[in-house]
Amino acid sequence: MKPLDFITGEIVGILLFFIGLYGLMTKKTIVKTIMSMSIMESGIFLFYITINYTVGSVPPIGQAQEAAFVDPVPSALMITAIVIGIGVTAIGLTMFMHYKQKHGITHWSRNRDQTGSDH
Amino acid sequence: MLYLLVIGPILAGIISILFSKKDTRLFIVAAQIVQFIYALRIFIQVRTDDTIFNFMSNVPEGIAITLMADIISSVFILLTTTIFLMMIIYAFHKDYFTTQFGFLFLVLQGLIIALFLSTDLFNIFVLLEVSTVVVAILIMINKEKQAIYDGMIYFFVNVIGTAFLLFGIGMLYRTTGLLDIRAISQVLPQLEDPRAVMLPFAFMMTTLSLKTAVVPLFSWLPKAHGTPSAPPVVSAILSGLFIKTGVYMFIRFSAMFEPVINVQEVFFLIGFITSIFGFIMAMGQNDIKMILAYSTVSQIGLIMIGLNMGSEIAYWGALFHVVSHALFKSTLFLAAGQVYHQYGTRDIRQMRGVLKAMPLTGFAIIFGILGVTGAPLFNGSISKYMISYGSYRPIVQFGLNLINLGTITYFFKFATILFGKDNRAEEAKPPKEDLLSELLVFIMGGLILVTGIYGPTSMNVLFGYEVAVFSAEYFEKGIVYALMIVAAAGIYNGIIKQGGLLNRISHIELTFNGVITSMTGFFLFMATYLYFVL
Repeated sequence: MKPLDFITGEIVGILLFFIGLYGLMTKKTIVKTIMSMSIMESGIFLFYITINYTVGSVPPIGQAQEAAFVDPVPSALMITAIVIGIGVTAIGLTMFMHYKQKHGITHWSRNRDQTGSDH
Repeated sequence: MLYLLVIGPILAGIISILFSKKDTRLFIVAAQIVQFIYALRIFIQVRTDDTIFNFMSNVPEGIAITLMADIISSVFILLTTTIFLMMIIYAFHKDYFTTQFGFLFLVLQGLIIALFLSTDLFNIFVLLEVSTVVVAILIMINKEKQAIYDGMIYFFVNVIGTAFLLFGIGMLYRTTGLLDIRAISQVLPQLEDPRAVMLPFAFMMTTLSLKTAVVPLFSWLPKAHGTPSAPPVVSAILSGLFIKTGVYMFIRFSAMFEPVINVQEVFFLIGFITSIFGFIMAMGQNDIKMILAYSTVSQIGLIMIGLNMGSEIAYWGALFHVVSHALFKSTLFLAAGQVYHQYGTRDIRQMRGVLKAMPLTGFAIIFGILGVTGAPLFNGSISKYMISYGSYRPIVQFGLNLINLGTITYFFKFATILFGKDNRAEEAKPPKEDLLSELLVFIMGGLILVTGIYGPTSMNVLFGYEVAVFSAEYFEKGIVYALMIVAAAGIYNGIIKQGGLLNRISHIELTFNGVITSMTGFFLFMATYLYFVL
């Protein structure tokens, strides 16, 4: 067994997920939060498209049956998930840009001002 | 034809935005009434016949995307359509009811109903993601600084939380090759090694705990539900209804995993901690919306206690508490909206004499408070009685009474706005609220009393569960309740008025990174518990 055999899509996917999570836990900049979120999602996409994959299988197109078909469901799910991911990133960036341009804030601040209890 | 319930409101929203130049409010109300009648029909059909299934595009069962209406989900749908109808009528004359607002509101209704009906895991993920977007926009609809910050925290935390769910679904699909909740629950007992689904379980439970806002993942909830500038109807929907999607998914998912993984004790304990934490935090708040938001945390804890107690009566009691909480919490949020609009402040120390200034709203608040604290004959008492009936262990009884004492105490503080002398200058008073919304708040308050007096009947009609509530023991609880009010008055005057430590505790909150860290911590705890303890 070659050492590189351990580096499968699933393992890399799980690693990417937790790298993204680490970024979310430690980075206080909002842009970095959005970037970490994208990394995390890419990890999930990679995990999905490699599950239940066996070497030598073919895409389920046409009638030829010389080899086993790949399960098409995860790929189909991921197309949806990628579109949603793009939408979510776009909305997150829009919110951030609006917030920065209007109020000039780029970091998650320490505390919310206690509006109700002070005025 | 369950999908009509989902696309109906969304279509109505699209039509109303196409004709946005005209006044579409009457059309939206009409659409809501039709929706309500249709939901009622589905509800009756489920009661008389059986569970209704809808397999999309005529694919065989197990593979098709399925919508299912059974006893539990039909009640949730009826509740959704009722509350949304009420909210739309309440908001009819308010200035924030624009076409855009109406559109988002209707889309949210479709999404909530779809969440209650769907049994397909990936559909649930998509619906959660879209509803997060819609809710975030509704929170920051006024574009005020604090609202955008709160909305952003809500948005990012929930998107990241849903990513956990997506990962969990992937791992579950890897083991079982299925995406349908019912099909998976049939396959799971045949699994050779239950360890294979432990990691996906931990991933999914992290998302569900985030959605139900239990300890330690609740810190987004007060921010989102108590956003100062969000319209009261939005807060009422979020607190009364939208949080219940998490509870509903928790019921479904734990039923799905039940054959292999059973972690009732953990969530029972988490429910207790959540409930106690919720009322401690609520005691120190002075913002009228924040009190109600933390109260939601506490009540959700109570629902989790009932669901995980392992006794049938407590389980149905918790489900009835979902219904009664939806009624009284949305009433209280709407009434609070009326009050803080009239008084121009959200600080409850500066509001006095609500009962005299706005009697209808005042009475609705009284009904709401009596409901949430579980006064005899109000709906909260029925569900709380059923939950406490589920266990005779002294420690559980003590805990439930402690939670109720806490609830009464912070609502004692809340109730101070009703009485006293109105200090506002005569010319500073804004024009009176429109009669329609006043009346509607009062009607909703009345519903709390009606579902309480006819508690066993409504229990039977809604869930088909027969229970004899009005026994000697029930009235014993009434005496305990009266004693608790006295104790709460003592605690209020002795401890809460002093502020001090309690005030400081209740203003602790996690930063964004803190929330994500606690989410990761919860996931690690869950995974470790499953692998090493179970």
